[in-house]
Amino acid sequence: MSDINLDIASTPAAAEGGQGTAGDYFALLKPRVMSLVVFTALVGIVAAPGGVHPWIAAVALLAIAVGAGAAGALNMWYDADIDAVMKRTASRPVPRGAILPGEALGFGLTLSVGSVLVLGLLVNWAAGALLAFTIFFYIAVYTMWLKRWTAQNIVIGGAAGAFPPMIGWVSVTGSVDPGAIALFLIIFVWTPPHFWALALWKKINADYTRAGVPMLPVVAGTDETRRQILIYTLILMPVTLLPSLLGVTGLFYTSAACGLGVMFIYHAVRVYRIREGDAAEIACKKLFGFSTLWLFLIFALILIERAAGLPAFAPVIG
Amino acid sequence: MTEVPAIETPMTKTPFSPEDMARRKKRALVMALILAGLVAMFFVTTIVRLGGAIAERSF
Repeated sequence: MSDINLDIASTPAAAEGGQGTAGDYFALLKPRVMSLVVFTALVGIVAAPGGVHPWIAAVALLAIAVGAGAAGALNMWYDADIDAVMKRTASRPVPRGAILPGEALGFGLTLSVGSVLVLGLLVNWAAGALLAFTIFFYIAVYTMWLKRWTAQNIVIGGAAGAFPPMIGWVSVTGSVDPGAIALFLIIFVWTPPHFWALALWKKINADYTRAGVPMLPVVAGTDETRRQILIYTLILMPVTLLPSLLGVTGLFYTSAACGLGVMFIYHAVRVYRIREGDAAEIACKKLFGFSTLWLFLIFALILIERAAGLPAFAPVIG
Repeated sequence: MTEVPAIETPMTKTPFSPEDMARRKKRALVMALILAGLVAMFFVTTIVRLGGAIAERSF
């Protein structure tokens, strides 16, 4: 890591360690990301065929949440140098000096091992193995390798955020089925346009440039990023309909997903066409905000459909 | 006699201030609660996985 760590080491906490509060450790878990992980994993559990005891489902959700939090802590340990120079992340516990990098590492590793063991022992080992792979992928593949090396970081790294509904599904069935892959693909294809819309904001783009993170707008320019956002958005729409083709969802989900898809494309087209001035910035912010809402609604639709007992289509493929 | 100011050495320095101790105590309490929760979770899960037949098996 860079010499920015020297600054971190000169803060008071470095003298003795152990300065972090319970709140600081909670912040290491990236609670906002964790809440999305819990929600999508819950949908994976509900959408999976068959059933599972509500207590086992709750244990699975807790283990997945803690596993996601552990990955967040390990990410903050490794990325402390980048976080320190980016305004958006400079107040995180490690660059702020509240928690030592070593403490974040120990915390993340302990929770990683603990969450995988709990999921494996109390739910099933297929889900436990998938959670272990997800943590490994997020830290070793995305954080340590792709993030600092390629503009495709968010495309491949997005898989880490796409695994939770699959882990939820496998917690019920014990196997990776086509329906689980469909839920995975929705988040996987959604991730690039979502994060690139954020990366196009001027101050965020400046942050990434300063930190030397090769995000697509920094490396390939904003025009190419706008083109890629539109392409991924157009790919996302048919992917959203995969659960219906596989017999996981029905008419309610399909019709609502089509409407939401049209709105997503509308925002992506605006980002593609409006390239200058405040209007361009606003278009990017609107796309980022809508994409967040879109993912929540898409997964909420599956949840509502199941809770209301609405019928799913007969599978066309799979 | 002039008063000699106390010299702080690694041996005489108090390792933790009252604020540090309060933080440590709170962290230890949270840790204890988490461990107790884990014990309860393993116990309840064991009962749930054994199922309703737990009271009916023959010894």
